[in-house]
Amino acid sequence: MLAAIAGAGAVRAQSVQTSAAPDAVAVTVYRAPDREADRKIDLGWLGGYALVTETRTVAIPAGRAVIRFEGVASGILPESAIVTGLPAGVREKNLDGELLSAASLYSRGYARPVTLRRTRDGKTVEERAIIRSGPEGSAIVETGRGIEILNCGPTEDAIAYDGVPAGLSARPTLSVETESPQGGTATVTLSYLAWGFDWQANYVATLHEGGAAADLFAWVTLASTDMTSFADAQTMVVAGKVNRTTMRTSNPYESPDSFEFRCYLKDNIGGAADAAGIPPPAPAPPAPPVAMYRTAQEVVVTGARVRKVEQEDLGDLKAYRVPEPTTVAAKSQKQVALLGKDAVPVSIVYESKVFSHQVAELQILVRAVNRADKGLGLPLPAGPVALFERQGQHALLIGESATDDKAVGEEVEVKFPIAANVTVEARDIASKGRERTRELVVSNANPFAIRYEADFNLNGEVKAPTRLGSKNGRKLWAAVVPANGTATLRYREIAPR
Amino acid sequence: MRRLNPVLAGALAAAGVALPGIAIAQTAAPSAQGDISVTIYNNNLALVQDKRELHLPAGKSKQDFPDVSAQIRPETVTLAAPGATIVEQNFDFDLLTPEALMEKAVGQNVTVVRGTQNLPAKVLAYNNGAVVEIGGRIEVLGKDDRVVFPALPPSLRARPTLSVTLDADATGPRPATLSYLTYGMGWKSDYVALFDEKAGKIDVQGWLTLTNNSGTTYSNANTLLVAGGGGIRGSAGSLMVPGTETAGRERVGDFYVYPIPGRVTIAQRQQKQVSFLDVAGAPAAKAYAYRNPWLGRQDQPRSVDTVLRFSSSKDGGLGDALPAGTVRIYMRDARGAPQFIGENAIGHTPMGSRIAIKTGEAFDVKIKAVVQTRERVNSSKWRTTMVYTLTNARPEAATVELTQGGLDSWWKDTRILNETQASERINADEALWLVSVPANGEATVTATFETRY
Repeated sequence: MLAAIAGAGAVRAQSVQTSAAPDAVAVTVYRAPDREADRKIDLGWLGGYALVTETRTVAIPAGRAVIRFEGVASGILPESAIVTGLPAGVREKNLDGELLSAASLYSRGYARPVTLRRTRDGKTVEERAIIRSGPEGSAIVETGRGIEILNCGPTEDAIAYDGVPAGLSARPTLSVETESPQGGTATVTLSYLAWGFDWQANYVATLHEGGAAADLFAWVTLASTDMTSFADAQTMVVAGKVNRTTMRTSNPYESPDSFEFRCYLKDNIGGAADAAGIPPPAPAPPAPPVAMYRTAQEVVVTGARVRKVEQEDLGDLKAYRVPEPTTVAAKSQKQVALLGKDAVPVSIVYESKVFSHQVAELQILVRAVNRADKGLGLPLPAGPVALFERQGQHALLIGESATDDKAVGEEVEVKFPIAANVTVEARDIASKGRERTRELVVSNANPFAIRYEADFNLNGEVKAPTRLGSKNGRKLWAAVVPANGTATLRYREIAPR
Repeated sequence: MRRLNPVLAGALAAAGVALPGIAIAQTAAPSAQGDISVTIYNNNLALVQDKRELHLPAGKSKQDFPDVSAQIRPETVTLAAPGATIVEQNFDFDLLTPEALMEKAVGQNVTVVRGTQNLPAKVLAYNNGAVVEIGGRIEVLGKDDRVVFPALPPSLRARPTLSVTLDADATGPRPATLSYLTYGMGWKSDYVALFDEKAGKIDVQGWLTLTNNSGTTYSNANTLLVAGGGGIRGSAGSLMVPGTETAGRERVGDFYVYPIPGRVTIAQRQQKQVSFLDVAGAPAAKAYAYRNPWLGRQDQPRSVDTVLRFSSSKDGGLGDALPAGTVRIYMRDARGAPQFIGENAIGHTPMGSRIAIKTGEAFDVKIKAVVQTRERVNSSKWRTTMVYTLTNARPEAATVELTQGGLDSWWKDTRILNETQASERINADEALWLVSVPANGEATVTATFETRY
C-alpha cells in the first residue's frame, strides 16, 4: 500500500509531512462586496469571504520536504496564503486541485492495473485489468480476453484500485515546500482568504408608545457554505467597504470532474432494462441547501443580558470580535448579539419628496443620533432594520428597511415606505407664464399630532408665504399636522428661464 | 467463483504472464516527457520545450509523443531531430469512448461473451444499436452480451496525442527537441503587504503564482516566467506614476523574465507559488481621497476612499519592477493578528514608480456634497455653488484630498469664482483641495463655479 502511494506519481524522493488539522484557528468574516445593505445574505451562493488564520504544529524534516496542510477551507484562494514560522521559509506553495474522486482515481490509473469486481446474480468474480481510456471516455479496460467496456454486459462492474496515487487528497489541502538545514518541530501560522462566507448586521427597533424612544437590538448574522468547519474559532466580522479586485471563482474542490461508466448501448435499445448501470453521479449540484440552524441562544428582544461582540478599529474599517471562541460550522448560519440599547431617543417624521408634477409616496423617517449621550455611540454596520411598535403587550411590525454604515456622531435616518393614516395631495391652483401656484395638503387621520416634511426636488425656485427651511441644497417645508387635522401650504414654483 | 471455461481460464493464465510486466511500470510510472522547459506568459500562453530521445528505424516511421499538453496548439509544433525529416504530423483528438470503439469495430471481428460461451462475431453496423453476425445469424446486441474487442483502434486515444511521421537516414537513437505553444497555463503575481500605520511602513512579499490547467503535468521543468506584453492592467482606484529605473532582473527585449530556481514539477490543476520579492520596512503612507463628479451630490454622507501610497524605487521603496498582479493589504488588529483590509490590482510597474492604491473606504471619514445654488447668470453662463461637508469620527485629524471633477466639460471653460480654501487646478478637468478635518469634527469647503454653456 505504502509502496503504491510512493510509487504512483511521486516525482522526487522527498519527505512529506502532513498536518491533519489546526491547533487553533481564527476566522474573520467580510461582507459580500457588492451586496446592498437591504439585501439579504444569499445562502445559496455566499458572496462574502473570510480570512482564516490557523496555528499548526508540524514536524519539519531536514532537507527538502513537503508540508501538507489538510483541512483548509474549500473556498481557499490559494494565492492569498501566507505561511509564517517555518525555520527555513517557504520555497514554494501549492494548491493541488485534484481531490480524491472517482474521476481523478480513474485518470491517474491510466495504463495501470486494477482489479475488476464483476457481479452477476449475486456472484462476484474478480479479475485484473489495465485501464485504457481517460475518464472523459468512460471506462474501457484491457482484460486477459481483450478490450472491454465496463458495465456493458451482463455483469455489474466496479473497479478496485491498489492504492491512492500521491497528490490526491481527500480534503482541501495546501502544501508548501521547505528546505531546512536541520529537522525539528515548528509552530506555523497559515492564513488565507476563502470565499463562501458572509455576514450582516440585523437591527430590530421597537418604538415606545408615543414614538419618542425605541429599544434597539442588533444581531450579527454570519454564514458559511464552506466544506470545512472551524471549531472553537476566534471569530470576528469586519464592517466597512473593503476593496476587492479578484472575483469569486469556482474552486476545483467545488466542481470535481464527473465520471460515469457508459455503454455503447443507447438506452431502450436491446430490450434489456438498463438496471445494471451504476447511476451517473448527479451533475455538479449547486451548493446544497444550508441547514438554517441557529445557535442555542434564545431570541431575546431586549438583549441587555446577552454577551455582545466587542468593537475595535482596524485601520479605517471596524472589527467586531465575538468575545468567546465559537464554532464556524460548515454550511451553517449563526447569530451573535451586536448591541442592545433600551430607550434610544428617536424622532419620527413623515416625509415626501415634491416634484414638479407629482408627490412621491410618503415615508416614515425614524431619526436618531449615533452618540453616546443620545443613547447610541457605536459604529453601526450596514444592515436591514425591522421596525416594530409596542402596543400594550404586543409588538406590531411597521415595516422593514435598511441602514448604511453609520459612524459615531452621524445622524441615522431610516426610511420606511408606508403610512396608511397620513396622506399628501398636491393640486394646481393657477398657472401663468413661468409661474405656477400649487397647494399641498397633508391630512392626518391619527389621533396624535405628527411632524411632516416636504422635500422640494424642483428645477425652479420655490416661493411660499411661510418661511421655508433648507436641506441638502433644497427647500424644505416642515410642519406639525394636528391630530385628526390637516396642514396646507400654498407655494409658487417659478420655472427657470 | 464462477466456473470458468477452459478458453477463458487459459486467457487469464496468459494475462497472468502479461500483467506483471505492466505492474512493474506502475512503480516507475514514467512520463514520456524528457528534459522539459516551460516558459509561461501572462496571457494564458506557454511555450514548452521537450528534449526526448527518439529511437528511429531507418526510413519512414510514425512516432507518438504522449504526455504533451492537452491544450497544445498543433500548428505551433516544431520538432528538431538530427538526421530525420518530418513527413507529416498529426494531432489525434478522437477520444476513446464506448461509442467510438464500437464505430471503429464495424466490419471487424470481435468476440461476444454470452453466458459461458465465447462466440466469434462480426460487427455489421452501429447505428443506434450494434448489429452483429454470430454464426450466420444477424442479431442486435443486448444488455446481456459482453463484447470483447481484440485491440484498440490506433486512431482512438485515451487523451489527445501528437504523432509525427519521420523519415530517418539511419537506425538509432537521437536527441529530438519538441517545442510548442499551449493554452491553459498562465501566471500573475500576488503581493502580501503588511501595513504598519503608526510606523508608516510596509513589509511586502511578492509571489509568482502560476496555474496549470493544460491537462498535463510537467515534471522537473526548467521554468521561466515572462512579464510584459498582454499583461493585466491596474484596476480603477490604483494609480501609478511610471518610474524610470531599471531593475536588476533578467530581461528579454522589453520584458523582464523571472526564472524559477531549480527544477519544479507543475502538476495538472495545480496552482503553484514561488517567492520573488521580500522587502521589510519600506515607507508607506495612508491617505484619504474623494472625487466628486460634476454636480454630484449626496443626501446621505458617503465614505471617502482609503488610499495606500508607496514606491517601487530603489531608494525608499520596494526596489524592484513589479509584474502585474494583486496587492493584498493587511494590518494588525488589537491583539496583533494580521487582518485583511483590502486589495487592488496593479499593472506591470517599472522600478521607480509611485503607486497609490485604493484599499477600501473609510468608515469614519465621510463627505456630503450639496449643490447649494445653481443659477443662470445670462444666456451662456451658469453659476453653481457647491458645499462639501467632511466629517471625521476618528480620534485624530484627517486630511482628505477632495477633487471636483468635470470642470473640463467639452470645449467650455469653468472658473472658480470664489472658494473658502484655495484649490489647486491639477489638470483642466479637476480642482483639488487638501481639507484637514479635525479629530471628531467636521470641515466645510464652499466653492462657486462659473460655467459657460
